[in-house]
Amino acid sequence: MSSLGSKILSILPADEEQFPLQFSDKVEPSVVEVLRRCRKQLYGNAACASRRLNAQIILDVSWERLNTGTWRHVDKEWRRVYSYGCLFKVAALCRENPSQQEILEAVRTCDMGLLMGAAIMDDILQVLVRILQNEISKTSKDEEKSVEGVAKKLKTEGPRSPSIREEKAVPRIKCPSLESFSTNYLLPLKPVILEGIIDHWPALNNHPWSIEYLRSVAGFRTVPVEVGSRYTDENWSQTLLTVNEFIDRYILNEDGGKSRGYLAQHQLFDQIPELKEDIRIPDYCCLGEGDEDDITINAWFGPAGTVSPLHQDPQQNFLAQVSRSFFTIPLQTCTNPNAELFPEFSKAPYLECVLEPGDVLFIPVKHWHYVRSLQVSFSVSFWWS
Amino acid sequence: MRWFGFGFNAFQQIQTQNNPEYSGLDAEERLSSPTELKGHVNRDGRCFEFSQIRASWSRRASLHSDGFVNDSCRGVIKQSRGCRDVFISESHLTLAFLDRVECWDLQSSDETPSWTMGIDTQSKSSAVNLPLVPGGYIASKPPFFHSLSPHMQAKSLALGGEHVILLTATGAVYTWGQGSHGQLGHGGLLPEEEPRTVEALWGMKMSSVSAGGWHSVCISDAGDLYVWGWNESGQLGLPSQRLRKTSEKKTDQQEGELSQNSSTHQEEVFISIQAFPALFDVTPLCEVKTVSCGSRHTAAVTTSGDLYTWGWGEYGQLGHQSFSSSDEPQRVEFFRAQQLHVVGVVCGPWNTFAAVANEEGLAPEYPTKPLNKHGE
Repeated sequence: MSSLGSKILSILPADEEQFPLQFSDKVEPSVVEVLRRCRKQLYGNAACASRRLNAQIILDVSWERLNTGTWRHVDKEWRRVYSYGCLFKVAALCRENPSQQEILEAVRTCDMGLLMGAAIMDDILQVLVRILQNEISKTSKDEEKSVEGVAKKLKTEGPRSPSIREEKAVPRIKCPSLESFSTNYLLPLKPVILEGIIDHWPALNNHPWSIEYLRSVAGFRTVPVEVGSRYTDENWSQTLLTVNEFIDRYILNEDGGKSRGYLAQHQLFDQIPELKEDIRIPDYCCLGEGDEDDITINAWFGPAGTVSPLHQDPQQNFLAQVSRSFFTIPLQTCTNPNAELFPEFSKAPYLECVLEPGDVLFIPVKHWHYVRSLQVSFSVSFWWS
Repeated sequence: MRWFGFGFNAFQQIQTQNNPEYSGLDAEERLSSPTELKGHVNRDGRCFEFSQIRASWSRRASLHSDGFVNDSCRGVIKQSRGCRDVFISESHLTLAFLDRVECWDLQSSDETPSWTMGIDTQSKSSAVNLPLVPGGYIASKPPFFHSLSPHMQAKSLALGGEHVILLTATGAVYTWGQGSHGQLGHGGLLPEEEPRTVEALWGMKMSSVSAGGWHSVCISDAGDLYVWGWNESGQLGLPSQRLRKTSEKKTDQQEGELSQNSSTHQEEVFISIQAFPALFDVTPLCEVKTVSCGSRHTAAVTTSGDLYTWGWGEYGQLGHQSFSSSDEPQRVEFFRAQQLHVVGVVCGPWNTFAAVANEEGLAPEYPTKPLNKHGE
C-alpha cells in the first residue's frame, strides 16, 4: 500500500466493527448491503477494480435519488449515502500508488461529496481533501506563471471607472460606530458604503488574494461555475470546474473569451476553510437577530462584465470588495436597468456606486439592485438578519 | 420462450454465482453480454419457462408458466400459485390473481400480504394489466391503490421514477407527476397532479407506452417511436453533450494529454431535456414492436426480431459487450449472431431482459406446455 493509502487508513476507524453505517429506513436494505460490501473491502484485500465498482454503485444509486424530486426535499440520508460513496471511491483510488491523475480525481470526488453530499464521520471528506492536497503539493511540478506574466494578462482594457453623479451616489462613511450605523442606515434601510472596516482582513494584508494565492490554496478544487451572460438568459447554464480551469478559461480568457463564466453565489468558504481564515464577519452583523451560524457567506469571483440582473435579497447584505492589490476593481450598482422592461423604474429614485477594494456596501433587505463587474473582481457577501 | 439478461447483477438477479463459497464480493456485478436465464426446475424435475419477468433495482421476479413466482432473492414464493401477473419494486412484490391482487412487503417474513384487493370476476372490466387493476392502478409503495376515472378507459399504464404515463383504449396518452425533466411531454417543466393529455400526440393512435427514471416513450399504431424527457445519458437517442465530453476526455487521456476545452462541437446541437414528444427513428429498416425503459436507458424490439438499445450503459445494460453509454440506437448483435428472434423486452432500472422465441419464431402463450427434460 502506498504511503498515501496508509495515511488515509489512519484517519479511518481501526476496523470494520468501528466503522459506522447507520441509516434511517429511507435507505433500502439492498443499498446498505452494498455499503457493507464496500466497508468489508476497505479493510480487506479485494482487487482495486472491484472496490471502485462497489463505490460507483453507491454513487450511482444515490445520485439518482438526489435527482428525484426537488433538491429541498431530497432526504438528507441519501446525501449521506452519496458522501459514503465518495469516501469509498477515494479510498479505492489512493490505495495502491495512485498516479497524479488519480489523486486529482480523488480531490474532485471529495469536492463532489462536499458539494452534493452531507457530512459524515466528523466531516471526513474535509480531512481527506486536505491530505490529498498535501500530496499534490509534494509531487507536482508547478509551472507557476510568473507574477509579471499574470499581471500583464490581467491588464485587460476594461472601461474606466464611470463617473458617479454626486446626487445619485451611495453615501460613504468611514468606520461608523455600531450605533450610528444602526440609527442612520440599518433601521431606516438606507444603503451606504462602509470604508475601512475590512482593512484588517488577511485577504487584504498578509494573505492578499491574488490569482497565484487562490491557485495555491484551491487550484485543484472543484467549484460550480455559471456560464452565460446572465442567469435570466436562455443559454445560461451551470458547470463544475476546478479553480485552475475556471481561472484559465474565464479569468485569463485562454479559450478566446467566447463565453462568460462566473463563480457566483457559492459558499466557497464552507468548502475551502483555508480561505475562510482570510476573512472576518463584519462586526455590524451583531446588530441582527440571528446567530453567527445563520449568516450565509458567498463568494463572487469573475471576469469583467459579469452581471447579476436586477434582483432583491431576502436578507440584509454586506457586499465586501476584496481582490488583488494590483488593480482597482470596481463594481457598479443600480445603473440603467433595462428601460424597456421596466419603464417606470427609471423614474424611481435610485443610487449608484463603484466599489473599490476594501469597500463594504450595505444593501438593505428587499432593496432592488443590479451588479456589473467592470474588471476581474472578487467579492464576499454576507447575508444576515 | 427463453430469456436473456444483461446489465446490473450485483445481487445475482441475472446470473447466480456458481462458487459455493460465494461471499457476495467476487460475483460479477455487471454483465455486458446477454446471458441466458435458467428456467425454473420444480420438485418433480420438470422445467418451466418464464412467461413474464419484472425487475427492480436489486431483484428479479419471474412468473413461471406453471403459475408460480420466483424472486431472485427469496426463491419460489409458495403463496404465488395461480398468479397471472407480477410487478416488483424495491420494497414490494405485487401479485395479480384471477380474483384478487396482493402486495407483499419484501422486507418482512410475514406469511400474508401487507395489502389485498378483491376483483369482481363477473365484471367486464376485471382485466388486470399490472400496474393497472380494475378501477385504478397499484403504486410501488403504500398507499398502493390509486383510482382512475372509468372515463379514461385505461388500457395500459407505466410507472416512471416520479411520473406516470397512461394509454387509453382509444390510443390517447396521459401523463402526470413530476415534470422537472420534461418527462410529462407537455412542453414545460411543471408537475401535474391530475392526468393531462399529451396534446402533441393528439390525433395519432398510440399502441403502447413505457416510462423510465425521467423519460417516456410510446409507440404509435404505425410503429413509430416517440420519446421525451431527460437525455443526460442519451436515453432519448438524441445528441447528449455529457456523453460527447466524456468520450473526448477518454480519447485525450489515451493519447496522453489532458483534455483542453473542446470547441469542435460547438456547432452541434445537444439536447439535455426534450419537453415535447419527438419522433425518433430507431432504424429506417423496420417498425418498432415493443419498447421498455430502464432508469436511464431504452430498449426496443423491431418487427424483424432485432433488439436495439441506447442510453446509459455503464453496467452493461445495453448489451454491446462494453460498459459505455450511447446516444445512438445500436443493435444487440448477440441475438443475430446466435440466430435468435427477439420477441419482447423488459427493463429493470439498470438491466435489460430480452424474450427470445423458439425456433419456429412463435412465442408460446400462457399457460405453456412444460418443457420436460427427461424426454417424455
